[in-house]
Amino acid sequence: MIRFEHVSKEFRTGVGRKRVQALIDLNLEVPRGEVFGFLGPNGAGKSTAIKTLLHLIRPDCGAVTILDRPVSDPSVRFHVGYLPENPYFYDYLTAEELLWFGGKSAGMPAEAIRKRSAMLLERFNLGAAAKRRLSSYSKGMVQRAGLALALIHDPQVAILDEPMSGLDPLGRKMVADLILELKAEGKTVFFSTHILSDIERICDRAGIIVAGRLRIVDRLETLLAGAETLEEIFLREVTSAGGSSEQ
Amino acid sequence: MSKLWAIAVITYKEGIRNRALYGISILAVLLLAANQLICSMILRDVGKVSVDLSLSAVAFAGLLVVLFVGINLMAKDLDRKTIYMVLSRPVSRAQYLVGKFIGLALIICVSMSLLGACAAASIFLTKLNYPNFFDRFAWSGIFTSMVFSTLMLLLLAALSFLFASFASNSFVTLVLTIATYLIGQVTGDVKALVEAPAVVGIQVSAITTALVKTAYYAFPNLALFDLKIQAAHGLPVTGSYILWTVCYWCFYLVMALTLATLIFRKREFP
Repeated sequence: MIRFEHVSKEFRTGVGRKRVQALIDLNLEVPRGEVFGFLGPNGAGKSTAIKTLLHLIRPDCGAVTILDRPVSDPSVRFHVGYLPENPYFYDYLTAEELLWFGGKSAGMPAEAIRKRSAMLLERFNLGAAAKRRLSSYSKGMVQRAGLALALIHDPQVAILDEPMSGLDPLGRKMVADLILELKAEGKTVFFSTHILSDIERICDRAGIIVAGRLRIVDRLETLLAGAETLEEIFLREVTSAGGSSEQ
Repeated sequence: MSKLWAIAVITYKEGIRNRALYGISILAVLLLAANQLICSMILRDVGKVSVDLSLSAVAFAGLLVVLFVGINLMAKDLDRKTIYMVLSRPVSRAQYLVGKFIGLALIICVSMSLLGACAAASIFLTKLNYPNFFDRFAWSGIFTSMVFSTLMLLLLAALSFLFASFASNSFVTLVLTIATYLIGQVTGDVKALVEAPAVVGIQVSAITTALVKTAYYAFPNLALFDLKIQAAHGLPVTGSYILWTVCYWCFYLVMALTLATLIFRKREFP
């Protein structure tokens, strides 16, 4: 379903064009119907990995595929829904117009867009604000509008970058419930977070990435089978990578 | 096609609701009102002055639309990462760019139509008050001048897309677009000057001549689209001039958008 094969990516930043290894030989496979949690400190490479899945960033080497097709093929994204970290949308559009765009760009007929848009807006408690401009939305509302946009075309794969950041406890529960619903529908969910409790609550498998290198990947019950908690495992991996949380 | 249209529609809606557009429209209306005032004061060549002022006001307001609404539409996508929202959909980079351009072209055309209608109303009022000064006046000249102003703005918008495709931020795009506009307005005259310096009694080095000629061919000659003088003086514009200028416009527009797409396809959005 989702596959990274020997993916590496290096950025050059700052005046001195200092090299930063964002991803180092990333190998990872997420099968259909799985909820995979991508865990790591800030700047570990989570968002870079996600952006290679959306072809927003090209790997220096290696291959990235979704549904066995290279992500450079735009048609792959008919089956992919994406929520960016801290999503920004056009200020002067309404949530309804945003979802119209999402459906239209995915080739949905007008009637299907209208029905699914109404359903999603209700699902995310945005029904009353559907005709309001997005610039007047709170952070939580923008996040929910982003989730609705990611799901408007009923994708097989949901890629969510820090979907719970900035949400209140109610919002976080709503996102967690949503991810479990998607799993029940047989969808694949790949989401990044640095909040350990989110991983424990909803993931089938989790991976810990530190300084661009995937340190550990396993099923959650296997990871937690020993005496260590997820927090202890996470801290051990960060420490053994010689890491601070910011790279 | 529906993807292009979807991108064009959201671009248009985002742009047309921008408050900057209201400010530009108010400025244009004020300039056109000033036209009435100036004409009542000079009482000499009122027809020519009225047409020239009205068309200049429209061209100036249109330029502000491209510089402050158009560039913002494209560059904001890159600055604020709203581009993720579009590129994470099943659209190619080329579809994104062309869709975005169609949306901006719609904004320019609608703005120029409204501004043009205001200008026509202003000229009509002046003509009503001072009919003796409009002996060589023709509405067709006004219309042609406005259409060519619109074509120039569309070309400038396409060039701003080219700059945005590689510029690191919206300020760089704005500076490059303004520089291109200024160079494009004078490049034809400067080339004529360096090719015949003896006419005005100056000497020009070979390097300067080469530089000016390079600029002449690298930058579009935007002065070609300025038909305000012809409209003000009721001078005819030949069919062949219109045809060749439109061909010139098509060539530069397609070149700018093709180059922008080629560069944009290679760009990453970390």
